[in-house]
Amino acid sequence: MRSLRLAWLSLVRQPARAVLGILGIAAIGALLFDMLLLSRGLVLSFGELLQRSGFDVRVLASDAPPFTGPRLADASALAGRIARLPEVEAVLQLRVREAEIASFGGGGVAPDGPMDQAVEGVGRRRRVEFIGADPQVRSMWTIVEGEDLPDAAAEAGPLVVNPNLARRFALSPGSEVSLRGRCANSPEALPPVTFTVVGIAEFPFDSVTSTTIAGTLADAGRLCGDAGVDRAEMLLVRSTPRAGAPGAAAAIRALEPLLHVVTNEDLIERFSRVEFSYFRQISTVLATVTVFFGFLLIAVLLTVSVNQRLGEIAALRALGLSRSRVIAGVMWESAMLVGAGGLLALPLGALLSLWLDAILRSMPGLPAALHFFVFEPRAIVLHVALLAVAAVAAAAYPMRIVAVLPIAATLRREVVS
Amino acid sequence: MNHLRRSLLGAVTLLAAASAFNSPKPDDVPGVLISRQLLESRGLRIGDRVRLAREATGEGARTFRIEGTYEPTPDPMRFAQPRLEARLHLPDLLALTADPSDPAAGESVTSINVALKDPSDAARFALDAAARLPGTVARPTRAPDERTGTFVVLERFHLAIAVVTIVGSAVFLLALMVMLIDERRGTVGTLRLIGFTRGRILMQVLAEGAVIAVAGAVFGILFALASQDAFNRIFQWRYDTTLIFLRVTPRVIWQSLLLALPLGIAASLVASWTLLRRQLLTLVRR
Repeated sequence: MRSLRLAWLSLVRQPARAVLGILGIAAIGALLFDMLLLSRGLVLSFGELLQRSGFDVRVLASDAPPFTGPRLADASALAGRIARLPEVEAVLQLRVREAEIASFGGGGVAPDGPMDQAVEGVGRRRRVEFIGADPQVRSMWTIVEGEDLPDAAAEAGPLVVNPNLARRFALSPGSEVSLRGRCANSPEALPPVTFTVVGIAEFPFDSVTSTTIAGTLADAGRLCGDAGVDRAEMLLVRSTPRAGAPGAAAAIRALEPLLHVVTNEDLIERFSRVEFSYFRQISTVLATVTVFFGFLLIAVLLTVSVNQRLGEIAALRALGLSRSRVIAGVMWESAMLVGAGGLLALPLGALLSLWLDAILRSMPGLPAALHFFVFEPRAIVLHVALLAVAAVAAAAYPMRIVAVLPIAATLRREVVS
Repeated sequence: MNHLRRSLLGAVTLLAAASAFNSPKPDDVPGVLISRQLLESRGLRIGDRVRLAREATGEGARTFRIEGTYEPTPDPMRFAQPRLEARLHLPDLLALTADPSDPAAGESVTSINVALKDPSDAARFALDAAARLPGTVARPTRAPDERTGTFVVLERFHLAIAVVTIVGSAVFLLALMVMLIDERRGTVGTLRLIGFTRGRILMQVLAEGAVIAVAGAVFGILFALASQDAFNRIFQWRYDTTLIFLRVTPRVIWQSLLLALPLGIAASLVASWTLLRRQLLTLVRR
């Protein structure tokens, strides 16, 4: 306890130095904490998004990223075969088409942007992503107003639209919308198809600017004039609680060995290894730099402080204070500086992460619900462990100075000077 | 044509059935170029024959002969993805990927790149083309798009990180200067006693701070210049790309100097002023 008190007195005797040391550690610690949040933030957030969609296995025609590879042929029969597996609870076919709004709400013509936006391509602001899905399977979107797609076939094609689209075109349940498909197999302009909005829904992977519409599988076909073509981009599968995602995936692979079957965990693993690896790398580099910087700061502060107090330390030793207590005093001093700075770094880091997260989330095309900085208890544990290592390493050299200090020679030098 | 070729070849990147076997070179087998990454990852060699298919089942696969290999143009948007690609002649690609039920498929391409006689006319030409060809999208290649937006955001993020680092460094520097100046308390007191004014001592500290700041900034810049190659090599090896990740440009050098010098001088001034404002007798401990 004496060494603790000794350390405390050393710090409070020079408050400016101690405060600056703590502030320096706090700034560095905040950055370190943020890098720890960033290192797994995207993966955690992406995993949560995948879980939110309510499906845990995806079936694709190839290992290409979703919506860029070939489509699944004979999709309805394939979905039926997979749905009959005992490990599978539900199967949702997804057909994604591009379309543009031809007119809405009783003949209103969709607005275009100003001239500079028109240069980007006529009708860019009118463009929508149309998701065709089977209404009899529980959907991946969340209804916020109105109703979901009806199970039975309706005369005027029912649609659910996302809030962005509803806001931009003043759509509400009951509104009529005409869509014109923009399909790769039709170089000519297709005739518009009229739909009725039945609900407004939030889609898990929508970006802040996304304009997404969901309708039935048949309507996706009508939109592109290929109603007879039974091809889907992807099958979303919900496993039974008993089989779990790995069990369902294994059963599907056994049934259809040529298809690419991935679980949410596989996707997360792939994204963390490939797509998101940049942020993991940058967080590793910056975390290393900040720990080193923290070590340097404390090491310099303690070394200079100890060097300035050599005479005082020698006097204390001459009065009977043991070597181990003086060494422990330096260690405690380091621990106090790093502890106070590290503690202050947590709220600072949390605030900083909000700012940095807002910057990165403004990247175009990212799902609005995706976050780069996500808190998990592991980040605090690592933060404490890394700062503790830095504190011990930084105290090593000044501790050595104190340990090998020649008492008589130092006192003599002090008196002579 | 590069963009068109890249878009088209994206489809063939999805090749599902690629198998290699050595055989004599027959004249009727079309040639194909394979990216270095694909060549290495599948153990292929120039002269090998490969079967490429659009479908995962290998249905409709066609045989090609590898005539050469190429290094894909580095793409910062896709640097983390392995570039398993092939380049085919356009007719071969269309024959491979065209939907037999679509009579227009053989005449369809993903995009067309146009080189204008007057590049400054690009915006007007794009507007005109989009208006005359309903259903198509025309845009100047230099127009800001999603890619530009992504890198603007990343630049902003890096700048924010740099700001935090500078704040931390400034505090570090200030703490260091406070300690160094405090160490000279006796010297400063003696100088004051023999008639040096506060202003003169402050000027000396200012000059010293400037020298330290310049030396630190120059060392930092030299270290960055010396280590940039190592950083680039590590990341190029990690992602198997020729992309340059880090480049110390004259602008970066000037930015560093403009930040480091005022910060260093300010830290010296603040630290020395805390000492100089004290009573003379306090400085000489009497």
